[in-house]
Amino acid sequence: MGHGHWDDNAYAAAKTFRAAKGEDDFGYSADLRAKPAKDWKAAAALDPKNAVRECRDSADHTDSTPIAVLFDVTGSMRRVPRIMQGKLGKLHGLLKRRGYLADPQVLFGAIGDADSDRVPLQIGQFESDNRMDEQLRTIFLEGGGGGQKSESYELAAYFMARHVVTDAWRERGRKGYLFLIGDELNKPALEARHIRRVIGDDVREDIDPASVYRELARKWNVYFVLPNQSSYYNDPEIGEHWSGLLGQNFLKLDDPGAVCELIAATIGLEEQVVDVDRALADLADVGSVAESAAVGKALAKLGTKTVVTSAVPEPGGPSDVVLR
Amino acid sequence: MSLLDGHVVVVGLGFGDEGKGAVVDALCADRPTTAVVRFNGGAQAAHNVVAHGRHHTFSQFGAGTFAGVPTHLSRFVLVEPFALAAEARRLETAGVRNPLSLLSVDGRALLTTPFHIHANRAREEARGAERHGSCGKGIGETVWYSLLSGALPGEVVENQEVIGTPGEAPTVADCARPSVLRRKLDTLARFYAPLAVPRHGVDELVTLYRAFADAVRITDGDETGRLAAAGRLVFEGAQGVLLDQHHGFHPHTTWSTTTPHNARDLLGGRPHAVLGVTRTYLTRHGAGPLPTESASVLARFPEAHNDTGEFQGAWRAGHLDEALLDYAIAACDGVDALAVTHLDAAGLRVVPGDGSPAVDLPDPLAWFAARLPVAVTGSGPDRAGYRVAEARSRINA
Repeated sequence: MGHGHWDDNAYAAAKTFRAAKGEDDFGYSADLRAKPAKDWKAAAALDPKNAVRECRDSADHTDSTPIAVLFDVTGSMRRVPRIMQGKLGKLHGLLKRRGYLADPQVLFGAIGDADSDRVPLQIGQFESDNRMDEQLRTIFLEGGGGGQKSESYELAAYFMARHVVTDAWRERGRKGYLFLIGDELNKPALEARHIRRVIGDDVREDIDPASVYRELARKWNVYFVLPNQSSYYNDPEIGEHWSGLLGQNFLKLDDPGAVCELIAATIGLEEQVVDVDRALADLADVGSVAESAAVGKALAKLGTKTVVTSAVPEPGGPSDVVLR
Repeated sequence: MSLLDGHVVVVGLGFGDEGKGAVVDALCADRPTTAVVRFNGGAQAAHNVVAHGRHHTFSQFGAGTFAGVPTHLSRFVLVEPFALAAEARRLETAGVRNPLSLLSVDGRALLTTPFHIHANRAREEARGAERHGSCGKGIGETVWYSLLSGALPGEVVENQEVIGTPGEAPTVADCARPSVLRRKLDTLARFYAPLAVPRHGVDELVTLYRAFADAVRITDGDETGRLAAAGRLVFEGAQGVLLDQHHGFHPHTTWSTTTPHNARDLLGGRPHAVLGVTRTYLTRHGAGPLPTESASVLARFPEAHNDTGEFQGAWRAGHLDEALLDYAIAACDGVDALAVTHLDAAGLRVVPGDGSPAVDLPDPLAWFAARLPVAVTGSGPDRAGYRVAEARSRINA
């Protein structure tokens, strides 16, 4: 026939259809996508509008440590959000089992593009039980993004700086852990109109993103993780941008499936419970043998530290948001 | 009220390639849109959109996809699952996550199968120099087969001899009913056996189409009405009015109603604006009349995304043709406003409606605006070159 090259697509077509169906198992995203785009919105439990998230001590958990994991769900991240959505659920168990923290409480969230996405920010609640899984399942994977190599990370950072209350900080002056997982740059400015629309604060002037990260660093150890299989893994501009903001807390991760192990190991290091070798051995013990290699590589920089330090200004630094 | 606040029907006023895809993308990026509804054609559509450095040639997916707008394929669309899967993979590469989840399909839409495609190609090859300019994607064949119900072998239907005993045409809804689908495909395979035998057997197709039915949302009843009640719809036409099955120049036509009439049917009397898309010059693919054709136009405006198609033939260009433009608008029963694309083209000429020689056209926008409101302006396929104006309806003013 000569013109039948499309025939060769039969196998690929079947695989494409099966894969698309499999993704529907993530109920919230699938349900929402069946609706008109104008009705897309964050699940109520994840909507940051006029919300405050709290990480409180309780009788059962007297030494709570907040851990927030916010990942980019835009198109440039390709399949990475789905890989993470499937694996992050075991983070809490990993931290507890190795004794890195007494009472970890974990919050999950998702970051998009406030210029072009309908759901640019989703922030769950701090949980210490399997409600975490539910948060992950109800994160809407919009998959949009503006394609300008920037996403609204600074909007998420603003929320974490201003709308989160933790007993760890209030009662004990202890920082929480915030992991941003993405592959692009911050927007050049945090726009007041986005803050008003998405978070609800009556802010009237645009904000310099660097000042948001300075404010955030007072109460949080902030990391940026750039996972492989995203669009800009090998783009030096991304690393320069985030290293400029967060110093050595910019981490590249070969295997996006190892993100949960990387977070656990990083916390173990920062808490000075373990060194890198011990952390990797711990991972092997809990069955994450394959992941431990990727984690080891990602942590090479952090592991050289003898004392937990950070390139971001410490609490004495400038605390006021710079307007521009 | 602006013309474009409500439902908008986008039709091409030329021979295709007017810029419908870029216009649909611009409309969807401009304000909230519930869905893009395709109201004619099938996998032969090729609508180029570039947005923020991402490029895709939209075929069965609506051109609002980069703007995050879901697509509904109405009952007037011909659906080809192999091509749909391939397009979904290309969209994933362009950064659209799980594109198939953005798609819903009317169960009554006809299926284009490998049998139709191979028959289409066999017929076009047999025409030799008398080619119609078919894309070779089985579109006409799919429509033709659907018209054969009750016809006997040897009869002539729409100028083609019925080569076997036809059966009912397979539809998208059949994909979820394997026994019905198998019966229809068996009949189809026997019917086309004298003309073409594709490599895929019926069993393989039944399995594949079943997977397709699992992966997309198949709708019944008045889905377009439900969507229209939920919010603004943009109707995306395929091909151009000058190729219309009733208004085009036979035999160089597509077997499709390219005018707004299907969209009006789907809207069931709901208010809407019809937006006619035109380039600042005329183009067409392959054989057929192009009265103002000019080698100088062709040489002046090279195409980034259009070239000679294996089945379609050469890419051609000519001056703006006032008589054809008026004819196309009349074939639509009038349009409310124009979208003018390729405004970056310089040195334009127009052949006036009285047939006198081409004259220079220094200000194309003014020329169009003297006829109808110009609601969208643009240059290439890139969204960055598009502006959506707050055009007022002259009808409702």
